[in-house]
Amino acid sequence: MKIFGIYLYQIIVVAISATMIHKGVSNFIKKETGQTFLKLFTRIFVWGGIATVAIFPKITNVFAEIIGLKGNINAVILTGFLLVFLMIFKLLSAIEKLEQNISKLTRKEALKDLKK
Amino acid sequence: MSSKENNNIYIVIAAYNESRVIQDVIKEIQGAGYDNIIVVDDGSSDETYQKISCIEKTIPLKHKINRGKGAATKTGIEAAKLLGADIIVTMDGDGQHDPSDIRVLIKPLLDENYDVSLGTRLLNPKGMPWYKIIQNKIGNAITWYLFGLWVTDSQSGFRAYSKKAAQAINTTGDRYEYDSEVIREIYKNKLRYTETPIQVRYTEYSMGKIQKQGFVNGIKTVYKMLWKIFH
Repeated sequence: MKIFGIYLYQIIVVAISATMIHKGVSNFIKKETGQTFLKLFTRIFVWGGIATVAIFPKITNVFAEIIGLKGNINAVILTGFLLVFLMIFKLLSAIEKLEQNISKLTRKEALKDLKK
Repeated sequence: MSSKENNNIYIVIAAYNESRVIQDVIKEIQGAGYDNIIVVDDGSSDETYQKISCIEKTIPLKHKINRGKGAATKTGIEAAKLLGADIIVTMDGDGQHDPSDIRVLIKPLLDENYDVSLGTRLLNPKGMPWYKIIQNKIGNAITWYLFGLWVTDSQSGFRAYSKKAAQAINTTGDRYEYDSEVIREIYKNKLRYTETPIQVRYTEYSMGKIQKQGFVNGIKTVYKMLWKIFH
């Protein structure tokens, strides 16, 4: 379905991307806890990229040519997989760090009477 | 060995939901002549801690939440170090280990200056279920491949450490990967170690425990060992 020459999916994707970018910028300006410039940049890059691909789908052909893959869909899927693996690895690292910190705190609490 | 000579030998027991047997385990160790017993209740949901606290001359410690056998053992070892232990012996809290083996286990540390004495079931596997022998051999092979040291029982919790070894060994594993991590630390720190045959008592109670090292926990242990290498 087209509205003023634009497909419905393009409108939805751009609207969601704009909302996510606005939320990120807003949190950064308000200096919310945990907001860094790198996080904001990553958010703009990811959501901006999704919006750009929605508006200019043929840009994926250029991307595929640059990285040397045949077919723009393959390039998008491969990039998607890589990003997902990176995110999972980062999450597992964060979980492991949290687990270790919890154990350290639990140990400190258990030993506190002994240290007195 | 006299009670006086045992003054600086500390026994560390990690216990999780062992209210049924923990008092018997502690009393048996005391009967063998060891009074410095640190028992770490690893966030049990039963009355393990209360049962431990009832027994005189025991040093009860409590994890407010369950962190795993490795974490609890490490807490016990840290406590022993704070109390000035010269030798630290770690044991399971379910009665599988025979306290009369403590004397044999620590002999290499006292007489031959070894840093670590690893209790091993596989030099005398009498009574050990066949599937546990196979599990153990697989664990040994993986530990050797990843950490560079071949031992006959990489998963045994019955071990003795000198003061030097206790200071040098630095583990981060909270659960069953702890036992293999200790092997890595022995290799990394070039500690003098020996393997000592121990007896194991497989009872209906100990074999029925869900949290023991079964197949699924074994896979999780391997994953954690691999993670520590690549991360």
